[in-house]
Amino acid sequence: MVLAGAALLALVARGLPDNLRDPVASSMRRTFLAPLVMLQERAEASRRSLLLDNARTAIRDSVALRAMTVGALETENDRLRELIGLGSRLKFGFVPAEAIHGRGIRDVTTMTLTAGSNAGVTRLSPVVSPEGVVGMVTTVDPTMSEAMIWTHPDFRVSAMSEDGSAFGIVQAHAASATTGYLMELRGIPFRSQLAPGSQVMSSGLGGVWPRGIPIGTVLSEVSTSEGWARSYLVRPAVSPADVGAVMILRSNRVNQGFETVWSTAAAAEAAAQRIVVAGDSAARSAALAEAAARRAALDTMQRSQGIQVPGGLPPELMPDTMRQAPVAPVLTDSAAAAAARRREAARRDAARRDSIRRDSIQRDTASRPSSPTRGL
Amino acid sequence: MNLGSIARALATFLILVLLHYTLRPLLGWRAPMDFLVLALLLSAIRVRPAWGAIIGLLLGIVSDSLTPDALGSGAVAMTVVGYLASWLKAVFFADNIALNAFFFFLGKWVFDVIYFSVEQRLAGVELIQQLLLWSPLSAAATAVAGVLLLFIMKPLLEPARV
Repeated sequence: MVLAGAALLALVARGLPDNLRDPVASSMRRTFLAPLVMLQERAEASRRSLLLDNARTAIRDSVALRAMTVGALETENDRLRELIGLGSRLKFGFVPAEAIHGRGIRDVTTMTLTAGSNAGVTRLSPVVSPEGVVGMVTTVDPTMSEAMIWTHPDFRVSAMSEDGSAFGIVQAHAASATTGYLMELRGIPFRSQLAPGSQVMSSGLGGVWPRGIPIGTVLSEVSTSEGWARSYLVRPAVSPADVGAVMILRSNRVNQGFETVWSTAAAAEAAAQRIVVAGDSAARSAALAEAAARRAALDTMQRSQGIQVPGGLPPELMPDTMRQAPVAPVLTDSAAAAAARRREAARRDAARRDSIRRDSIQRDTASRPSSPTRGL
Repeated sequence: MNLGSIARALATFLILVLLHYTLRPLLGWRAPMDFLVLALLLSAIRVRPAWGAIIGLLLGIVSDSLTPDALGSGAVAMTVVGYLASWLKAVFFADNIALNAFFFFLGKWVFDVIYFSVEQRLAGVELIQQLLLWSPLSAAATAVAGVLLLFIMKPLLEPARV
């Protein structure tokens, strides 16, 4: 009976029309169910905030991860731009390739390149980067090749100073904890001396390396036991760790010479620096002119309003910088008078100093005892 | 039932109702555990079938008030489940975990079957999917939660020692 009655009540509730059902449910929610409804709302809000926090954390982590890669991407972008610039200057006869570094000990001195004989790479082809000499191809496969980096003990390149006054051989300097990867320029005639900071370039002697490719910068002279030649420590133009994308030069391009390729780049860089300096000067001049105009406007305003700045000149004596023409003679006179006064004071000071010096010399002479050697 | 037993049963009932309106929305599972059904089952086994049906009716009306479109569906389902739970208590409520879990599972599943049948919101494949996939999952979650609560709330659920 009870079951039937309860079930009947429930079915009646189920069968209520909408206009009765909603007020009944609403009145229950507003009265004795209000605390439970509030609890459920709080729980759902907590869940939403938890999910939102998770989403925010995920977004923050993604942004942080992307930010970590931005620096590397910018560097890679810059290097690729430089490589494109080098390619446009070389015009022809080069093969772009990716350098694949291994993880072994020997791989500091060698690298694998993603271009081979199918692309026209031959043994002893020079490998360059936008900065300069990288290495030389030693082994060639149809699709890959292996190159010796300049850090290899067997690597040599005939070099010269930028002005062509001194010639020698560049090779890897024995690396140590303090020197890192450096080069050594050997065999420079004793009569030729290179200043620190001098550029060292390939000389074109020897037949492998063409003339005019940057090798590095002179750091200092190295003392050696050889008495007939000088040796210099050279900071390389290309760091082995930075080698990523390179150009392999074909023999037909090598024969054409490279003297304008890297010098053009250096000239462009110098021109860019000059533009930056000129821009700075122009900006400084503009700032000074603006400050002068502002000061003149303030002076004029103070004069017109009769305001005296504490510690400054009274308004009637303040120069009107906006109307310089009528005031100029007065300023010139006062400036000339002040200059004359300064000159006169300086002359008097100098004369006083001279007289004091003469007096002291005379006193010293007078007080000095006669030497036994005096008169010899 | 003495006064202590009634108080403990009431406390258990209130705790389960609170969990239904706090923990359940906080977890937000697709196949959620139903603490109201657990509260009904644990209450119904302590009373006569008629009272089980009345408790079910009241709990059903309460739960339906938050879903006005289905007002009465939960009441019908809980009335039947409360009555059956009270009627079957001698069969199921031996001191056996598996039987208890099956009791909770069956109670929730029967509730869902009646609820969705009376509600008539779902039909066809959706109804089958709900009754054969999501309802059993929800019933399983409810059974697991019920068994855990039996362990946690053992002092409250044990009959008073005289």
